[in-house]
Amino acid sequence: MFDIKSVDFIWLVLMGLTLLSAAIAESPDQGLLLILVITLTVAYKGRMIVDHFMELKDANRLLRNSMRIYFYVIPAMIVLVYLFPDLIARLTTLQ
Amino acid sequence: MPNSVATPIQAVLPTKNHVPGNMAIWVGILSEMTEFALMFIVYFIAKVHNPEFFADGPLRLNTTAGVLNTLVLLSSSYFVIKAIKSIRIGRIDQCQRWLWSAVAMGMLYLIIKFYEYQWNSDRGLATDTDIFFTVYYYTTFNHLLHVGWGSGAILWAIMGIRMGGITQQNHSGLEAVAVYWHMIDLAWIVIFPLLYVLR
Repeated sequence: MFDIKSVDFIWLVLMGLTLLSAAIAESPDQGLLLILVITLTVAYKGRMIVDHFMELKDANRLLRNSMRIYFYVIPAMIVLVYLFPDLIARLTTLQ
Repeated sequence: MPNSVATPIQAVLPTKNHVPGNMAIWVGILSEMTEFALMFIVYFIAKVHNPEFFADGPLRLNTTAGVLNTLVLLSSSYFVIKAIKSIRIGRIDQCQRWLWSAVAMGMLYLIIKFYEYQWNSDRGLATDTDIFFTVYYYTTFNHLLHVGWGSGAILWAIMGIRMGGITQQNHSGLEAVAVYWHMIDLAWIVIFPLLYVLR
């Protein structure tokens, strides 16, 4: 049986998390804690849509993993860019 | 299988390990996700080289428009999965209503985005204002195009249902449109914090 209530609940949670991000956008100072909150929000939203809206949770494993990994890599890049901007700038400078 | 128990409406559920839609749409989706990933890499590289523009840029954008469009796209994705669940239990009319609601959300997104671009223009913000706005316009306009033709794809699915090509028993075409639409939502879930929230 499919649980039709679960997507209703997930939708409401995702809407709430969007409003949380909006509040953070207005924050004057974005420290590491807020960056982590934003990052986890992106990862969670992506995972919920991949698993429950795209319905990949019990679907083809290759497709599921391909989509899930996206929402590990992008949030990780957000944190790395915040923590090591100078290093990444050096690594991406053409000599 | 619990299907041995007679129910008034027999749901047509996906099997385990199935491919939602078809493999062709997944080639398209993974290609599009790669394209958006390249845009995000451009954003990250541009940001570390020009931190001052990327700290100031989000503060000059219309955050309300970005938040509203996030809520609109999330709702459209929700309406699309509700349409899928409706067609599986044979509620064709209900399925179409959910799909029309999703199309309406797509149109609302475009209206908000054009308002936002006009709002920017009124304040002198353009593609050549600085590197942040170049990245912002390239990424968001590209995404806007996806919302436009994604809405068209949902309209195609509605026509398919009305003409009998998409049914409770055979709705892989609708599933393909649905997962493509969710991909558009996924891209925005990354774009929104990168351009409107993070500084």
